[in-house]
Amino acid sequence: MQAITKSDFIGKDTAAAEKRPFVFTRPTAKTGLVSWLTTVDHKRVGLLYGVSSLIFFLVGGFEALLIRIQLAVPNNTFLSAQTYNELFTMHATTMIFLAVMPLSAAFFNYIMPLQIGARDVAFPRLNGFAFWVFLAGAIILNVGWFVKSGAPDVGWFGYAPLTSTAYSNQFATDMSTDLWVMGLQILGVSSVVGSLNFIVTIINMRAPGMTMMRLPVFTWMTLITAFLIVLSFPAITIALIALMMDRSFGTSFFEVSNGGLPILWQHLFWIFGHPEVYILILPAMGIISEILPTFSRKPLFGYPIIVFSGAVIGLLGFGVWSHHMFTTGMGTMATAAFSIATMAIAVPTGVKIFNWIGTLWNGQLQMRTPMMFALGFVWMFMMGGFSGIMHSAAPADAQQQDSYFVVAHFHYVLIGGSIFALLAGIHYWFPLIFGRKVSEAWGKFSFWAIFVGFNVTFFPMHFLGLNGMPRRTFTYDGNMGWNSANFIASVGAMILGIGMAVYFVVMLYTYFKGEKVGRDPWGARTLEWSIPNPPPEYNFAVIPTVHARDAFWYEKNHRDEIEREKAKSAAEEESHGGIHMPSQSWFPLLAAMALLTGGLFFTNHNFMGAIAGGVVLFIAVYLWAWEGPGGYHLHLDKDGNPIEPKDGQAHH
Amino acid sequence: MRTLSRRAEAFRPPRFPFGDMTLTLTLRTAFSRARSLVLVGLLPLLTGGWTSGPQSTFETHGPVAKTQLDVFYVTLWVSVILFVLVAAVLAYATLRFRVRSGDLSNQPPPEQSHGNPLIEIGLIVLSIGALVIIAVPTMRAIWYTYDVPEAERANAYEVTATGYQWWFKFEYPQEQIEGSGALVTGNELVIPAGRPVRVNLRTVDVIHSFWVPKLAGKVDMMPNRGNHLWLKADEPGYFWGQCAEFCGESHAVMRFRVIALSEADFAAWLAQQKSPARTVPGTQIGATPAAGTPRVEFASYKYEKQRPNSPGWSEGFDRAPFAAWQQKQQVDAGEKPELIAQGRKLFIEKKCAGCHEVRGHEGAGISGPNLTRIGARTTIAGGLLENTEQNLHRWLTEPNNVKPGNKMWFGGYVVRNSETGAWEEQFSINDDEARSLVAYLHSLK
Repeated sequence: MQAITKSDFIGKDTAAAEKRPFVFTRPTAKTGLVSWLTTVDHKRVGLLYGVSSLIFFLVGGFEALLIRIQLAVPNNTFLSAQTYNELFTMHATTMIFLAVMPLSAAFFNYIMPLQIGARDVAFPRLNGFAFWVFLAGAIILNVGWFVKSGAPDVGWFGYAPLTSTAYSNQFATDMSTDLWVMGLQILGVSSVVGSLNFIVTIINMRAPGMTMMRLPVFTWMTLITAFLIVLSFPAITIALIALMMDRSFGTSFFEVSNGGLPILWQHLFWIFGHPEVYILILPAMGIISEILPTFSRKPLFGYPIIVFSGAVIGLLGFGVWSHHMFTTGMGTMATAAFSIATMAIAVPTGVKIFNWIGTLWNGQLQMRTPMMFALGFVWMFMMGGFSGIMHSAAPADAQQQDSYFVVAHFHYVLIGGSIFALLAGIHYWFPLIFGRKVSEAWGKFSFWAIFVGFNVTFFPMHFLGLNGMPRRTFTYDGNMGWNSANFIASVGAMILGIGMAVYFVVMLYTYFKGEKVGRDPWGARTLEWSIPNPPPEYNFAVIPTVHARDAFWYEKNHRDEIEREKAKSAAEEESHGGIHMPSQSWFPLLAAMALLTGGLFFTNHNFMGAIAGGVVLFIAVYLWAWEGPGGYHLHLDKDGNPIEPKDGQAHH
Repeated sequence: MRTLSRRAEAFRPPRFPFGDMTLTLTLRTAFSRARSLVLVGLLPLLTGGWTSGPQSTFETHGPVAKTQLDVFYVTLWVSVILFVLVAAVLAYATLRFRVRSGDLSNQPPPEQSHGNPLIEIGLIVLSIGALVIIAVPTMRAIWYTYDVPEAERANAYEVTATGYQWWFKFEYPQEQIEGSGALVTGNELVIPAGRPVRVNLRTVDVIHSFWVPKLAGKVDMMPNRGNHLWLKADEPGYFWGQCAEFCGESHAVMRFRVIALSEADFAAWLAQQKSPARTVPGTQIGATPAAGTPRVEFASYKYEKQRPNSPGWSEGFDRAPFAAWQQKQQVDAGEKPELIAQGRKLFIEKKCAGCHEVRGHEGAGISGPNLTRIGARTTIAGGLLENTEQNLHRWLTEPNNVKPGNKMWFGGYVVRNSETGAWEEQFSINDDEARSLVAYLHSLK
């Protein structure tokens, strides 16, 4: 309690900080390794998320290329059945949990606080914790590649009873499924913690005048996605705990020989799994809803409808999970109900497409690289959406389920949808984050290579599926009529791989040598562009006051009014003690490392080690609470540079 | 008998299932013209025959698959029409409103309009309308495909399919055999054509899925859950099927066949199946071999070792699979009683009898496929390999290279040492032994 009252930053700086015990000394490094390990700056956390998710994206992509090499010709022996099963399991798990979700989280972290005019998220240390826990889960998932038992091989939705010790332990001492369970469980902690943080931030930390209906759409989608995560992850958490109990302590939730019900796993998994689909796509829709207006020089068409349809998608997303289970024998009534609910969800999705087209209409469209990716998104997402409608008709789905048609469908919405939008977002916000702009020629080249490679890979898969090729098969015979489509798909995958390689090489080049640009190079509309690039640690020298949706566009058109207002706010803030900044901390990292080691011990069924990890976690969280929120004040000179505080003075 | 001409069927314009729906005649005509144009003209060009094959869902041979295909076409055409409309507007907007000049900062921005509720509501209503067009046939088909229609139920035939890692067992509860229960076969399901067949779906281990694309969409075999599906083959024929739910290491090679026979052929087949295993004279256990110890040259084939995962099918078979199946029902010419007798002994010595049953001969195991008529099946190893001497030899000598992780290898040829946990060889089958076993198994017609 003492610590909390002391950190009360509304008021004057304390004259001299009292001596604190060693463990509570806050790290203050601004550069170097320690500054990153202890960071609480939402922008640095965002970058950590971004870089690690892109590395995992490359890993997942490499796994995909191996899969396509194996399937290029019938009866190939490039991979063994076992390796292939590990590859497709890890490809999906990596892309969903270690690439798309954290890359979205990178944007939530970096962009969302800037869009609402905040200096950081509501709980900065918790934000760091979410990242380090994500990394812990990612490491546990991938440890399998380096140990004898191999990587997880049960498919990304791990249907019971294939995950039971009886079937995933058949021929070898196997901890791969335990790694999968523990990895997903820990990633869930990260997602829920991060999401709670975003929800509190968006609800509480908006700049004055930033009403909910003035929020940029990306921030709206962040909020909806965060709610989806908080509400859906409990279902998979329960399922994973039950499975962990089955595997480690002999319970019978899914153990058939003792009356367990494998169908229970499917319901629990998909009650999480379908909202998860929207967790992957809503941030992408948010990004698109930022890019299209900017490059059309027009506000988003039908903002309220876009926002509400996003919310409706989120809500309906909880009512359609069993369309993943049309072939499990649910009976006529349940099948019909989920069929109709699934069709219903196409309406708010279609609405978004109409509104994006409405945004283009009468605009001044500038075909810059982010705009190319955004338009590519609209096209590809439409195709994925329409094959989704085909799935919603349960009788047709009886033929499509678990075939390559489904593989085509979800790659259209996940690559053509999510990934295109995330790549667009990287291009779009790159000048803001690094102060440099990607070359248009190379950007467009990578776009076309990715676009062509993607379609050549996945369009033929529609036909493969309807022609009877089941998914998750390491081999096929040459007499099934699948040879040419598979070969073309593999060629496409190589083109896609080259496109991605170009994209990332160009990004790296731009980071070091790219053309420097000033503030607001795109003529954008939202607040994040109102600050210098790269953004200073404190984001906004003066917390902006918001007068309209598209706040920055309004600012640009009312310069005098805004200047007067800013001077007034700055004086007010200074009289309250200056810009308040959160203090760095070691404890988020320590707590996450305890989860990592404890989790690894648990997967190896070393329960003493697991308990030790739990104890360290408890201590770390306890100390975290006792070190207090901390914080210090910054005072800016005329150019916006912080005036260095006298040593130890400004820090609580 | 009808042979399956795959290509000829591929591009037949499908019937559009708008039977009792209220669409204007002109629209239907326009629809039907557009449909034939695209289907007959463009699709083959675009796809190069990608809609045709042994597991094609476009080439239906029964009412269930047909109903599902019809629903698919409704969704397809509604989607294609909507896509073309929306995409045209999107493409027009993109081309019409793009600006080529690089710098717009000195130009006035376009009108900052915020939307138009009337257009939005109109589009929402239209999309709901399009979904109703899909929903109506969908609902009808859900009920139709779920179970044998009331009117046909009396005529329905019942079989039980059970999934194992990685093969299918088929039981005929209506065909009881004195002293050994229901008739059992494996991996090739023989059904009467023209009659609805209700397939009860069971599994002994993990989730599998029963899928014969040309006859019916898939339904999963769930542990602790009694699923079923129904299908009907319009005419006699030979159909490919495959497990569609990931079920472990060799999921990709868990396949099966369905053979539909005319009512008379089916009755004859049943009678044949219900009798005990065929015994070639002089090959009983304990009988004196006719010509001493069997020698290699007795076998009619020369075995060539294959690499793992090499194909087990042949074009000759695929050209007329149904005729090939009928051929397989005949006793092979040039049977060698010496080899067969030796093979029958090996069937016990190599512990085959522990897991497999040859009803009337040795062996009452139930954890592997029933082999009473293995010689009359067109495939072995769970529908993976054509049942030739070469392939059977290969399967017997190196099962783990054919189907990784299978339980004939793990737990048969090699067993786990309970102390070290390592897999150790229990027995192996050399080429000479394999030849005898092949001769014996192929004599089981």
